[in-house]
Formats: sequence, C-alpha cells, structure tokens
Amino acid sequence: MTALDEREAPAPVPDMTTGSAPIAIQVRDLGVRYSLRFTRKTTLHRSFVNLLRRQPVDQFWALRDVSFKVVHGESLAVIGPNGAGKSTLLQALAGIITPSAGVVEVLGRVSSLLTLGAGFDEESTGRENIRLAGAFLGIDPGTMREVTPGIIEFADIGPFIDAPIKTYSSGMRARLGFAIATSVEPDILLLDEVLATGDQLFRAKSKARVLDLIRASKGVVLVTHDMNWVQEFCNRAILLERGRIVAEGEPNEVIEIHREHSQRAREEKEAALAKVLAEAGSGTLPPDAARGRAL
Amino acid sequence: MSIKAEAPAQFRSSADRPNALGLLREAASEVLARRRLIGYLVQADMRKKGADTLLGNIWWILDPLLQMLVYVILVSVIFDRGGPDYPLFIFSAILPWKWFQSSVMDGLTSVTGAERLIRQIQFPKLVLPVASVVAGVVNFAFGLIPLVGLMLLFYRDRISVMLLLIPAIAVVQFVFNLGMAVGVSALNVFYRDIGNVARHLLRLWFYLSPALFSLDQLEKATAGFPIIHKILVANPWATLFTAYRDVIYDARPPDWSALFVVLVGSVILVALAALLFKRVEPAFAKVL
Repeated sequence: MTALDEREAPAPVPDMTTGSAPIAIQVRDLGVRYSLRFTRKTTLHRSFVNLLRRQPVDQFWALRDVSFKVVHGESLAVIGPNGAGKSTLLQALAGIITPSAGVVEVLGRVSSLLTLGAGFDEESTGRENIRLAGAFLGIDPGTMREVTPGIIEFADIGPFIDAPIKTYSSGMRARLGFAIATSVEPDILLLDEVLATGDQLFRAKSKARVLDLIRASKGVVLVTHDMNWVQEFCNRAILLERGRIVAEGEPNEVIEIHREHSQRAREEKEAALAKVLAEAGSGTLPPDAARGRAL
Repeated sequence: MSIKAEAPAQFRSSADRPNALGLLREAASEVLARRRLIGYLVQADMRKKGADTLLGNIWWILDPLLQMLVYVILVSVIFDRGGPDYPLFIFSAILPWKWFQSSVMDGLTSVTGAERLIRQIQFPKLVLPVASVVAGVVNFAFGLIPLVGLMLLFYRDRISVMLLLIPAIAVVQFVFNLGMAVGVSALNVFYRDIGNVARHLLRLWFYLSPALFSLDQLEKATAGFPIIHKILVANPWATLFTAYRDVIYDARPPDWSALFVVLVGSVILVALAALLFKRVEPAFAKVL
C-alpha cells in the first residue's frame, strides 16, 4: 500500500515532522462508513417497503485506513478530486462525525470556518446572534463580550447590528458569519476551501484575517482546490482518492502526483464519453445534446 | 494562548462508544454545561413564536378558549352529555393537553430543523429538544390567563387554594413532556414522516384519555372490556387529567400517590429517551 510506504519513509520536511514537537492532531486508521439505509429521505413508509422487499443495505466507506499526524507549527493541505472524502475528513477532525473505525485525537480547541452563518436565528438581532453563535461554539460569555466589538467592526454592518437578521442582505450575513467564525483564535484551524465571500475589499480583508489565524494557530488543516494556497501556506500535503491516502509528503511533489492522476482521470473520462457517443451513433445526435453530455 | 470555554478544549473520538450509564452521564453533563446555550435557544424560540408580540400572544390565549367552545358544542349541545359547568371541566383538560401537544410537535422538528448547524459544528445535539420543551412552558403559562379569567367571570364558587397546586402537577407533566420530545426528536431524523403519524396518534390518545369525560364515566363505559379498561388506567394522562381536574374543577387535592407513579415513570422515560438519543446522535451529521 502506497500510503503506508510513504508514511514510513523519511519525513520530507524533517524540521517539522520529526523531533519532539508536540502533536496537535493524531489520526489512526480512521474509517467513516455511510449507510444508505438512512438518508434524509427515509420515511417509515419507505423502510417498511424495503423490509418487505428484503433489499440489502448499501454501505460505503467515505474514508478508509486514514492515518496521519499534525504536529505544532505544521500546516497540512488535503487535496484530491471531488468526492474523495476531503470534507468528511474535516468533519471528523472537527468532531462533527464520529469515526466508524479508528481514532481521531485533537489536542486543542478546534475551529472550523465551516460555520459561516449556519446557526443564525432570523428573528434575533445581529448582536443576539453573536451571543448565540458563541454559545454554540462553546465560548464562554466573558470572552464573547470582549470580542463582540471587534466582530461588529470587522463585519462592517453599522447600525444593522441591532436589527433582526432577517433584514440583512446575503453579503451582510456572510460578513457577520465570517467575523464570528474568525473572532476567537483557535489552537487548531480547519479550513474548507478558502473563503470567497463579499466584495473585493472584504475578500482582501478576510484573506488577511485567515492568514493571521493560520499564523496564530498551532496546527492547520486546509482543504482546497487552489494549489497556490497549498504551495504558499502549507508545509506538507496529503492526497486523498476514494477515501484513502494515496500520497503524502512535500506539497510540490504531492501536487504533481495529483496533477498526473487527474490528467489520467480526465483522459479516461474523455475516452469513455467518446465511446458512449460512438455507441449512440454520434451522427444522429444533435450537436446540442453532445455538448450537453460533454459538460 | 488559552481561551476559557464551555466546550472541552480537546477531544478523542473513536469508534468505541461508552456504555449505557456512560452515555446517560454524558447526556446530563452536556445539558448542564450548555445551559446558557439552552437559555438563548429558548429566547430565540419565544421570539419566533411571538413574532408580532401582541397578536401572537392574543392567539395563545384565544386558542384554548376556541377549542373549549368546539368541545362544549360537540359534547354538551350535540350529544347532550357533559355535566355541570362543563366548559370549565373541559378547559382543565385542554390547558395541559395543548402544552403536551406543542411540546411533542416542536420537539419532533427540533433536531431536523437544525440540520445545517449539525453538519457544520460540533455541539451536544441534546440541547435542541431540551430547549424546545423549556420554551413550551410559556404556552402553558399563557393558557393560565384564560383559566383565571373564566373562573373569575363564571365560576367564582369553584375557586379554592387547591389552584395553587397546579405548578406541582405541571412539574410532573414537564418531565413527561421532556421524555416524549427527546425521544421523538431522535426518531424523526431517521423517519421523516413520523410527524404525520404523531398527529393522529396524539388525537387518538386524547380521545382515549379522560379528557372529555371523567375517569369514572370512562371506567363505566369500558367495564365490559377488561383490556381496554387496563390500558385506560395505565395511561399517564388518566392520572394527569384527573389531577388537573381535581384541583381546578373539584377543588380537592390530587391523588398524590398516582402522580408520584407518573413522575417515576416519566423519569424512566427521560432516561430511556436520552439513551436512545445519545446512541443515535453520532449518525445525525451523516443522515441530515
């Protein structure tokens, strides 16, 4: 197995991964299994029908045999194609998803910037929602009171802070959500896709803020498709494919493997598409339909 | 850098789950540690329900009165049953039942309504049904206003110190409401059509309880069917309705020993519901 071989190989960035730097995150043999028996659409009705038909329960492993470590001062990038399990991995690291196998240990307060405005209560004011979000994140009221003025200033929503959230524009919501999520510096920062919300000015501001957080935190795990971020801010990377680690090491090397793999995947897909089109008799298909499939 | 926090500063999450006792202990400590969050959620819930404060609250008062009117017309006018002061008799049942009904129905959607949040942050999901049940107390409190109004206007001779015992009975009912709401909130994640079933089951439950009639009347009517009679007496609502009716309508103390039995049963129900909830909680983020 490549994942195992590479993990046991000498660490690519010796000053970061060896030595006695304290561990921030340790993941051992993590597996996350989804059962398709229950989804958001299951009903009593459906389960009863399935029971009568004796359909086998479909399961799949979104993550399998994933092991890695993040030590203090490290910034780990997780890259891979869509559906590889990157977001599931972040959810497991944030404690949102319980492993089906293996162990996740997180030694520090985690913050995931997944939380932009997820818990807003429409009838409550911006200020009340700041309190509510703080309580959801488990931050004590004293700290929350201290950071509130900073949040309001950063979100730049002026007098609307005392108006109900339902009166906010989507940009204002996103700004407030971002400001809350980044208000308290975490020990360990989990980032899913670098945030691109709001106008240009706010985007520049939020990028600066994320960089501050990355610098202040003890460990970072970043999931992204933007390879510039990986090269610029990460000192190690893992490549996930179909729920397994297929490469781990220095960012540039892993990115190169990822490029090769996705190039190959693209070629395979094109070949398959060409085959389907040929079988359908490409001559009989109107050009619009062919283009539709290609997209 | 250290931040004071109500959530643990580090965690270890693995495929091994604690045993039943461990889960219960976890549930209790989560609710206690997050009482501030529960408080905010209750505030938000009340704000939502009383969105246009004045009108929202007027409906809370009018609603039980209108329902009382429906049953009075149905039972005492059409069927010509019902005893003396039947409106008060039936109101003493509608008041706690509406509270129960809203607690169960609000609890039902409390977890599924927070799906975006559950997929994005880690927090003890138990706070959701607990907050919705606590917010439901307001429903009951507002129902007391028309009760007092009715008694002052029409039934002065039935007013007694026994009315002060209403909170004691309400405490027992609160525990029962909590157990039911926590249980159904977890089930609804996996079976989204439970709401449809619950509505009808609740209505059936109401009619099979001594709500429109007294327990004596129902016992007489079902004397020939021992099984139905047993179910009738084992029904916690037989005890609860009778207790409310004792203090409101008959001005006499409730049957304390029967209430105590319901209290013990409700505590067991809460424990079982919390256990079920904690067992299936790890699956919430995957299913929602």
